[in-house]
Amino acid sequence: MDCLEFRRRLGADPAHRDADFIAHRDACPACAAAWARAQQFERRLADALAVPPPPRLAERMLLAQATEERLARRKYLQRGLALAASAGGAFVLGRFLGTRDDTESLRALAVAHLPGEAFALGLKQPIPVSAIEQGFINRGVRLAASPPPDVTYVHDCPVGPYRTVHLVMQRGGLPVTVIYVVGHRNRAHDRFERAGWHGTVVPLRAGTLVAMAANPELLSGAVRDWRLSLDGPAASGHLA
Amino acid sequence: MPVLPFVNTRQRQFEALVRAHSGELYRYAYWLCGQAALAEDLVQETLLRAWKGLEALREAEAARGWLYTILRREHARLYERVRPGMDELDDEQHAAEMAWADPERQGSDAELREAMLALPPKYREPLLMQVLGGYSCEEIAAELGVKANAVMVQLFRARQKLKEALSERSETTHGLP
Repeated sequence: MDCLEFRRRLGADPAHRDADFIAHRDACPACAAAWARAQQFERRLADALAVPPPPRLAERMLLAQATEERLARRKYLQRGLALAASAGGAFVLGRFLGTRDDTESLRALAVAHLPGEAFALGLKQPIPVSAIEQGFINRGVRLAASPPPDVTYVHDCPVGPYRTVHLVMQRGGLPVTVIYVVGHRNRAHDRFERAGWHGTVVPLRAGTLVAMAANPELLSGAVRDWRLSLDGPAASGHLA
Repeated sequence: MPVLPFVNTRQRQFEALVRAHSGELYRYAYWLCGQAALAEDLVQETLLRAWKGLEALREAEAARGWLYTILRREHARLYERVRPGMDELDDEQHAAEMAWADPERQGSDAELREAMLALPPKYREPLLMQVLGGYSCEEIAAELGVKANAVMVQLFRARQKLKEALSERSETTHGLP
Protein backbone atom coordinates (compact mmCIF):
# COMPACT_ATOMS: atom_id res chain seq x y z
CA MET A 1 0.00 0.00 0.00
CA ASP A 2 1.33 3.48 -0.88
CA CYS A 3 0.66 6.80 0.82
CA LEU A 4 -2.12 7.77 -1.60
CA GLU A 5 -4.03 4.56 -1.08
CA PHE A 6 -3.46 4.79 2.69
CA ARG A 7 -4.86 8.35 2.86
CA ARG A 8 -7.80 7.41 0.68
CA ARG A 9 -8.64 4.49 2.96
CA LEU A 10 -8.01 6.54 6.10
CA GLY A 11 -10.40 9.27 4.96
CA ALA A 12 -13.17 6.77 4.24
CA ASP A 13 -12.64 4.33 7.09
CA PRO A 14 -10.35 5.51 9.89
CA ALA A 15 -11.08 2.36 11.89
CA HIS A 16 -9.70 0.16 9.09
CA ARG A 17 -7.49 -2.61 10.44
CA ASP A 18 -6.22 -4.59 7.45
CA ALA A 19 -2.63 -5.80 7.80
CA ASP A 20 -1.25 -3.82 4.83
CA PHE A 21 -2.95 -0.66 6.10
CA ILE A 22 -1.43 -1.06 9.57
CA ALA A 23 1.96 -1.98 8.10
CA HIS A 24 2.07 1.21 6.02
CA ARG A 25 1.07 3.33 9.02
CA ASP A 26 3.88 1.82 11.09
CA ALA A 27 6.41 2.34 8.31
CA CYS A 28 5.54 5.92 7.25
CA PRO A 29 5.85 8.73 9.86
CA ALA A 30 3.77 11.21 7.84
CA CYS A 31 0.90 8.74 7.42
CA ALA A 32 1.20 7.74 11.09
CA ALA A 33 0.69 11.40 12.02
CA ALA A 34 -2.30 11.62 9.67
CA TRP A 35 -3.70 8.47 11.26
CA ALA A 36 -3.37 9.96 14.76
CA ARG A 37 -5.17 13.14 13.64
CA ALA A 38 -7.91 11.03 12.05
CA GLN A 39 -8.43 9.05 15.26
CA GLN A 40 -8.70 12.28 17.23
CA PHE A 41 -11.30 13.59 14.78
CA GLU A 42 -13.26 10.30 15.01
CA ARG A 43 -13.39 10.55 18.80
CA ARG A 44 -14.63 14.08 18.53
CA LEU A 45 -17.21 13.07 15.94
CA ALA A 46 -18.43 10.15 18.07
CA ASP A 47 -18.76 12.48 21.09
CA ALA A 48 -20.68 15.05 19.07
CA LEU A 49 -23.12 12.42 17.76
CA ALA A 50 -23.78 10.90 21.19
CA VAL A 51 -27.23 12.41 21.65
CA PRO A 52 -28.73 11.19 24.92
CA PRO A 53 -32.08 9.46 24.31
CA PRO A 54 -35.12 10.93 26.08
CA PRO A 55 -35.71 9.63 29.62
CA ARG A 56 -37.54 6.28 29.84
CA LEU A 57 -37.53 5.91 26.05
CA ALA A 58 -37.66 2.10 26.17
CA GLU A 59 -40.60 2.12 28.61
CA ARG A 60 -42.51 4.56 26.43
CA MET A 61 -41.85 2.46 23.34
CA LEU A 62 -43.09 -0.65 25.14
CA LEU A 63 -46.18 1.21 26.29
CA ALA A 64 -46.92 2.30 22.71
CA GLN A 65 -46.56 -1.27 21.52
CA ALA A 66 -48.73 -2.55 24.40
CA THR A 67 -51.47 -0.08 23.56
CA GLU A 68 -51.42 -0.95 19.87
CA GLU A 69 -51.41 -4.64 20.66
CA ARG A 70 -54.34 -4.27 23.03
CA LEU A 71 -56.38 -2.42 20.41
CA ALA A 72 -55.50 -5.04 17.80
CA ARG A 73 -56.54 -7.85 20.12
CA ARG A 74 -59.75 -6.09 20.99
CA LYS A 75 -60.60 -5.77 17.29
CA TYR A 76 -59.75 -9.42 16.79
CA LEU A 77 -61.94 -10.41 19.73
CA GLN A 78 -64.81 -8.26 18.49
CA ARG A 79 -64.59 -9.85 15.06
CA GLY A 80 -64.56 -13.29 16.66
CA LEU A 81 -67.56 -12.51 18.80
CA ALA A 82 -69.44 -11.06 15.85
CA LEU A 83 -68.75 -14.24 13.93
CA ALA A 84 -69.86 -16.37 16.85
CA ALA A 85 -73.03 -14.34 17.21
CA SER A 86 -73.86 -14.55 13.53
CA ALA A 87 -73.46 -18.31 13.70
CA GLY A 88 -75.71 -18.49 16.72
CA GLY A 89 -72.75 -19.50 18.80
CA ALA A 90 -72.67 -16.68 21.35
CA PHE A 91 -75.08 -18.44 23.66
CA VAL A 92 -73.09 -21.68 23.52
CA LEU A 93 -69.84 -19.80 24.10
CA GLY A 94 -71.31 -18.04 27.13
CA ARG A 95 -72.49 -21.32 28.63
CA PHE A 96 -69.11 -22.89 27.94
CA LEU A 97 -67.31 -20.16 29.82
CA GLY A 98 -69.84 -20.30 32.62
CA THR A 99 -70.19 -16.57 32.63
CA ARG A 100 -73.57 -15.98 31.04
CA ASP A 101 -75.25 -14.76 34.20
CA ASP A 102 -72.28 -12.75 35.52
CA THR A 103 -70.75 -10.76 32.73
CA GLU A 104 -71.04 -7.31 34.26
CA SER A 105 -69.58 -7.91 37.72
CA LEU A 106 -66.22 -6.37 38.56
CA ARG A 107 -64.54 -9.76 38.81
CA ALA A 108 -65.96 -10.85 35.45
CA LEU A 109 -64.82 -7.64 33.79
CA ALA A 110 -61.38 -7.95 35.38
CA VAL A 111 -60.90 -11.51 34.09
CA ALA A 112 -62.25 -10.55 30.67
CA HIS A 113 -59.68 -7.74 30.52
CA LEU A 114 -56.72 -10.13 30.81
CA PRO A 115 -56.64 -11.66 27.29
CA GLY A 116 -56.46 -8.19 25.73
CA GLU A 117 -53.15 -7.58 27.50
CA ALA A 118 -51.91 -11.14 27.72
CA PHE A 119 -48.42 -10.09 26.65
CA ALA A 120 -48.08 -8.15 29.91
CA LEU A 121 -48.04 -11.42 31.83
CA GLY A 122 -44.76 -12.36 30.18
CA LEU A 123 -42.86 -9.16 31.01
CA LYS A 124 -40.00 -9.91 33.39
CA GLN A 125 -38.10 -6.65 33.66
CA PRO A 126 -39.09 -4.58 36.73
CA ILE A 127 -40.16 -1.08 35.75
CA PRO A 128 -39.04 2.09 37.57
CA VAL A 129 -40.95 3.22 40.66
CA SER A 130 -41.56 6.57 38.96
CA ALA A 131 -43.45 4.84 36.12
CA ILE A 132 -45.67 3.00 38.61
CA GLU A 133 -46.35 6.17 40.57
CA GLN A 134 -47.14 7.96 37.32
CA GLY A 135 -49.63 5.22 36.41
CA PHE A 136 -51.53 5.96 39.62
CA ILE A 137 -51.15 9.73 39.29
CA ASN A 138 -52.75 9.46 35.84
CA ARG A 139 -55.80 8.16 37.70
CA GLY A 140 -55.59 10.84 40.41
CA VAL A 141 -54.20 8.49 43.06
CA ARG A 142 -51.01 9.17 45.00
CA LEU A 143 -49.30 6.16 46.58
CA ALA A 144 -48.66 6.48 50.33
CA ALA A 145 -45.55 4.27 50.24
CA SER A 146 -43.25 2.66 47.70
CA PRO A 147 -44.85 0.11 45.37
CA PRO A 148 -43.68 -3.53 45.39
CA PRO A 149 -40.31 -3.91 43.64
CA ASP A 150 -41.39 -6.67 41.26
CA VAL A 151 -43.89 -4.74 39.13
CA THR A 152 -43.19 -5.37 35.45
CA TYR A 153 -46.16 -3.61 33.82
CA VAL A 154 -48.41 -0.65 34.52
CA HIS A 155 -51.14 0.87 32.39
CA ASP A 156 -54.15 3.05 33.12
CA CYS A 157 -56.80 0.83 31.56
CA PRO A 158 -60.56 1.21 31.33
CA VAL A 159 -62.20 -2.01 32.55
CA GLY A 160 -65.88 -1.93 31.63
CA PRO A 161 -67.21 1.32 33.10
CA TYR A 162 -64.37 1.49 35.64
CA ARG A 163 -61.22 3.61 35.60
CA THR A 164 -58.38 1.37 36.71
CA VAL A 165 -54.64 0.97 37.04
CA HIS A 166 -53.58 -2.38 35.59
CA LEU A 167 -50.38 -3.85 37.03
CA VAL A 168 -48.48 -7.11 36.69
CA MET A 169 -45.96 -8.43 39.22
CA GLN A 170 -43.71 -11.47 38.92
CA ARG A 171 -43.76 -13.73 41.98
CA GLY A 172 -41.75 -16.92 41.97
CA GLY A 173 -41.71 -16.95 38.18
CA LEU A 174 -45.49 -16.53 37.92
CA PRO A 175 -47.41 -13.39 37.03
CA VAL A 176 -49.84 -11.81 39.46
CA THR A 177 -52.21 -9.30 37.92
CA VAL A 178 -53.51 -6.46 40.03
CA ILE A 179 -56.26 -4.16 38.87
CA TYR A 180 -56.90 -1.19 41.13
CA VAL A 181 -60.33 0.33 40.48
CA VAL A 182 -60.39 4.04 41.24
CA GLY A 183 -63.48 5.60 42.80
CA HIS A 184 -65.49 2.40 43.17
CA ARG A 185 -65.29 0.69 46.56
CA ASN A 186 -66.65 -2.84 46.73
CA ARG A 187 -68.80 -3.43 49.78
CA ALA A 188 -67.05 -6.60 50.91
CA HIS A 189 -64.08 -8.91 50.34
CA ASP A 190 -64.70 -11.54 47.73
CA ARG A 191 -62.80 -14.51 46.33
CA PHE A 192 -63.44 -16.18 42.98
CA GLU A 193 -62.23 -18.70 40.47
CA ARG A 194 -62.97 -17.98 36.86
CA ALA A 195 -61.59 -19.03 33.46
CA GLY A 196 -58.54 -20.62 35.07
CA TRP A 197 -57.78 -17.63 37.31
CA HIS A 198 -57.98 -17.42 41.08
CA GLY A 199 -58.87 -13.97 42.30
CA THR A 200 -59.64 -11.81 45.25
CA VAL A 201 -61.54 -8.54 45.43
CA VAL A 202 -60.58 -6.22 48.29
CA PRO A 203 -61.96 -2.77 49.16
CA LEU A 204 -58.91 -0.56 49.56
CA ARG A 205 -58.78 3.16 50.27
CA ALA A 206 -61.44 4.83 48.10
CA GLY A 207 -61.30 2.06 45.52
CA THR A 208 -61.16 -1.68 45.04
CA LEU A 209 -58.22 -3.93 44.38
CA VAL A 210 -58.66 -7.07 42.27
CA ALA A 211 -55.71 -9.49 42.37
CA MET A 212 -55.58 -12.52 40.03
CA ALA A 213 -53.10 -15.37 39.62
CA ALA A 214 -53.01 -18.95 38.43
CA ASN A 215 -51.75 -19.94 41.88
CA PRO A 216 -54.10 -18.74 44.67
CA GLU A 217 -51.28 -18.78 47.22
CA LEU A 218 -49.75 -15.73 45.57
CA LEU A 219 -52.77 -13.52 46.18
CA SER A 220 -52.52 -12.68 49.88
CA GLY A 221 -48.92 -11.42 49.57
CA ALA A 222 -49.83 -9.24 46.61
CA VAL A 223 -52.81 -7.74 48.44
CA ARG A 224 -50.66 -7.13 51.55
CA ASP A 225 -48.01 -5.31 49.50
CA TRP A 226 -50.49 -3.09 47.72
CA ARG A 227 -52.36 -2.33 50.92
CA LEU A 228 -49.04 -1.11 52.33
CA SER A 229 -48.30 0.93 49.24
CA LEU A 230 -51.76 2.51 48.95
CA ASP A 231 -52.54 3.02 52.65
CA GLY A 232 -49.02 3.57 53.98
CA PRO A 233 -47.32 1.65 56.81
CA ALA A 234 -49.33 3.17 59.67
CA ALA A 235 -52.75 2.67 58.14
CA SER A 236 -52.01 -0.79 56.80
CA GLY A 237 -50.66 -1.83 60.21
CA HIS A 238 -53.85 -0.57 61.80
CA LEU A 239 -55.98 -2.48 59.34
CA ALA A 240 -53.97 -5.65 59.83
CA MET B 1 -52.57 -21.17 32.60
CA PRO B 2 -54.57 -18.88 30.31
CA VAL B 3 -51.57 -17.46 28.44
CA LEU B 4 -50.00 -19.38 25.61
CA PRO B 5 -46.22 -19.77 25.95
CA PHE B 6 -45.45 -18.34 22.49
CA VAL B 7 -47.04 -15.05 23.45
CA ASN B 8 -44.60 -14.70 26.34
CA THR B 9 -41.59 -15.65 24.27
CA ARG B 10 -42.45 -13.22 21.52
CA GLN B 11 -43.11 -10.40 23.94
CA ARG B 12 -39.92 -11.14 25.86
CA GLN B 13 -37.94 -11.06 22.63
CA PHE B 14 -39.47 -7.74 21.69
CA GLU B 15 -38.88 -6.25 25.13
CA ALA B 16 -35.23 -7.27 24.97
CA LEU B 17 -34.97 -5.75 21.50
CA VAL B 18 -36.42 -2.45 22.67
CA ARG B 19 -34.22 -2.24 25.73
CA ALA B 20 -31.08 -3.12 23.79
CA HIS B 21 -31.57 -0.90 20.75
CA SER B 22 -34.01 1.96 21.35
CA GLY B 23 -31.31 4.41 22.50
CA GLU B 24 -29.09 3.68 19.54
CA LEU B 25 -32.03 3.87 17.12
CA TYR B 26 -32.99 7.21 18.60
CA ARG B 27 -29.51 8.59 17.98
CA TYR B 28 -29.57 7.36 14.39
CA ALA B 29 -33.06 8.78 13.83
CA TYR B 30 -32.09 12.08 15.38
CA TRP B 31 -29.18 12.57 13.00
CA LEU B 32 -31.24 11.45 10.03
CA CYS B 33 -34.04 13.95 10.60
CA GLY B 34 -32.44 16.55 12.89
CA GLN B 35 -35.41 16.86 15.26
CA ALA B 36 -35.85 15.27 18.67
CA ALA B 37 -39.65 14.80 18.58
CA LEU B 38 -39.59 13.49 15.04
CA ALA B 39 -36.76 11.12 15.95
CA GLU B 40 -38.83 9.66 18.77
CA ASP B 41 -41.79 9.20 16.41
CA LEU B 42 -39.51 7.43 13.95
CA VAL B 43 -38.21 5.08 16.63
CA GLN B 44 -41.75 4.30 17.72
CA GLU B 45 -42.88 3.56 14.17
CA THR B 46 -39.80 1.43 13.64
CA LEU B 47 -40.38 -0.63 16.75
CA LEU B 48 -44.08 -1.08 16.03
CA ARG B 49 -43.20 -2.40 12.60
CA ALA B 50 -40.56 -4.62 14.16
CA TRP B 51 -43.17 -6.02 16.55
CA LYS B 52 -45.51 -6.84 13.68
CA GLY B 53 -42.74 -8.50 11.70
CA LEU B 54 -40.81 -10.10 14.55
CA GLU B 55 -41.08 -13.54 12.97
CA ALA B 56 -38.79 -12.30 10.18
CA LEU B 57 -35.94 -11.92 12.66
CA ARG B 58 -34.18 -15.28 12.71
CA GLU B 59 -30.88 -14.47 14.43
CA ALA B 60 -30.20 -12.19 17.38
CA GLU B 61 -27.02 -10.89 15.68
CA ALA B 62 -29.09 -9.60 12.78
CA ALA B 63 -31.39 -7.53 15.00
CA ARG B 64 -29.45 -4.30 14.82
CA GLY B 65 -29.15 -4.24 11.04
CA TRP B 66 -32.77 -5.25 10.69
CA LEU B 67 -33.92 -2.37 12.90
CA TYR B 68 -31.67 0.11 11.07
CA THR B 69 -33.20 -1.00 7.79
CA ILE B 70 -36.73 -0.53 9.08
CA LEU B 71 -35.85 2.88 10.47
CA ARG B 72 -34.32 4.02 7.21
CA ARG B 73 -37.45 2.95 5.36
CA GLU B 74 -39.67 4.72 7.87
CA HIS B 75 -37.58 7.84 7.41
CA ALA B 76 -37.85 7.59 3.64
CA ARG B 77 -41.61 7.08 3.97
CA LEU B 78 -41.81 10.17 6.12
CA TYR B 79 -40.04 12.16 3.44
CA GLU B 80 -42.54 10.93 0.87
CA ARG B 81 -45.30 12.57 2.91
CA VAL B 82 -43.60 15.72 4.19
CA ARG B 83 -40.17 17.20 3.98
CA PRO B 84 -39.24 18.21 7.47
CA GLY B 85 -35.88 19.89 7.76
CA MET B 86 -33.82 22.18 9.86
CA ASP B 87 -34.97 25.08 7.73
CA GLU B 88 -38.44 24.61 9.17
CA LEU B 89 -37.18 25.17 12.70
CA ASP B 90 -37.05 28.66 14.05
CA ASP B 91 -34.14 29.75 16.25
CA GLU B 92 -35.98 29.07 19.50
CA GLN B 93 -36.91 25.56 18.42
CA HIS B 94 -33.40 24.94 17.24
CA ALA B 95 -31.99 26.05 20.59
CA ALA B 96 -34.37 23.67 22.35
CA GLU B 97 -33.30 20.84 20.08
CA MET B 98 -29.68 21.43 20.98
CA ALA B 99 -30.36 21.96 24.69
CA TRP B 100 -29.28 18.42 25.55
CA ALA B 101 -25.65 19.29 25.02
CA ASP B 102 -23.42 19.81 28.02
CA PRO B 103 -22.62 23.55 28.18
CA GLU B 104 -18.92 22.71 28.39
CA ARG B 105 -19.22 20.81 25.14
CA GLN B 106 -21.26 23.48 23.39
CA GLY B 107 -18.24 25.02 21.63
CA SER B 108 -16.55 22.71 19.18
CA ASP B 109 -19.08 19.87 19.50
CA ALA B 110 -21.93 22.24 18.69
CA GLU B 111 -20.11 23.34 15.56
CA LEU B 112 -19.53 19.76 14.55
CA ARG B 113 -23.18 18.89 15.18
CA GLU B 114 -24.34 21.79 13.05
CA ALA B 115 -21.94 20.80 10.30
CA MET B 116 -23.27 17.24 10.52
CA LEU B 117 -26.87 18.39 10.14
CA ALA B 118 -25.87 20.54 7.19
CA LEU B 119 -24.33 17.59 5.32
CA PRO B 120 -26.37 16.45 2.31
CA PRO B 121 -28.16 13.15 3.10
CA LYS B 122 -26.06 11.20 0.59
CA TYR B 123 -22.99 11.94 2.73
CA ARG B 124 -24.61 12.02 6.14
CA GLU B 125 -26.41 8.69 5.91
CA PRO B 126 -23.41 6.42 5.21
CA LEU B 127 -21.35 8.31 7.78
CA LEU B 128 -24.03 7.73 10.44
CA MET B 129 -24.19 4.06 9.56
CA GLN B 130 -20.44 3.81 9.95
CA VAL B 131 -19.95 5.93 13.08
CA LEU B 132 -23.13 5.09 15.00
CA GLY B 133 -23.93 1.66 13.62
CA GLY B 134 -20.41 0.33 13.17
CA TYR B 135 -21.18 -0.79 9.61
CA SER B 136 -18.30 -1.62 7.25
CA CYS B 137 -18.12 -0.02 3.80
CA GLU B 138 -19.33 -3.26 2.24
CA GLU B 139 -22.30 -3.48 4.62
CA ILE B 140 -23.26 0.13 3.93
CA ALA B 141 -23.00 -0.55 0.21
CA ALA B 142 -25.29 -3.55 0.50
CA GLU B 143 -27.78 -1.60 2.61
CA LEU B 144 -27.86 1.43 0.32
CA GLY B 145 -27.76 -0.59 -2.89
CA VAL B 146 -24.61 1.05 -4.24
CA LYS B 147 -21.05 -0.15 -4.88
CA ALA B 148 -18.51 -0.27 -2.05
CA ASN B 149 -16.22 2.12 -3.92
CA ALA B 150 -18.99 4.68 -4.14
CA VAL B 151 -19.57 4.37 -0.39
CA MET B 152 -15.87 4.95 0.25
CA VAL B 153 -15.97 8.11 -1.82
CA GLN B 154 -19.07 9.33 0.03
CA LEU B 155 -17.49 8.65 3.41
CA PHE B 156 -14.26 10.37 2.39
CA ARG B 157 -16.12 13.43 1.15
CA ALA B 158 -18.40 13.49 4.20
CA ARG B 159 -15.39 13.81 6.50
CA GLN B 160 -13.75 16.34 4.22
CA LYS B 161 -16.89 18.49 4.26
CA LEU B 162 -17.11 18.33 8.05
CA LYS B 163 -13.48 19.35 8.41
CA GLU B 164 -13.92 22.15 5.88
CA ALA B 165 -16.98 23.46 7.73
CA LEU B 166 -15.10 23.42 11.03
CA SER B 167 -12.13 25.11 9.47
CA GLU B 168 -14.31 27.85 7.97
CA ARG B 169 -16.00 28.45 11.31
CA SER B 170 -12.68 28.62 13.06
CA GLU B 171 -11.40 31.18 10.58
CA THR B 172 -14.57 33.27 10.96
CA THR B 173 -14.27 33.12 14.74
CA HIS B 174 -10.73 34.40 14.57
CA GLY B 175 -11.65 37.25 12.26
CA LEU B 176 -9.95 35.78 9.22
CA PRO B 177 -11.57 35.97 5.79
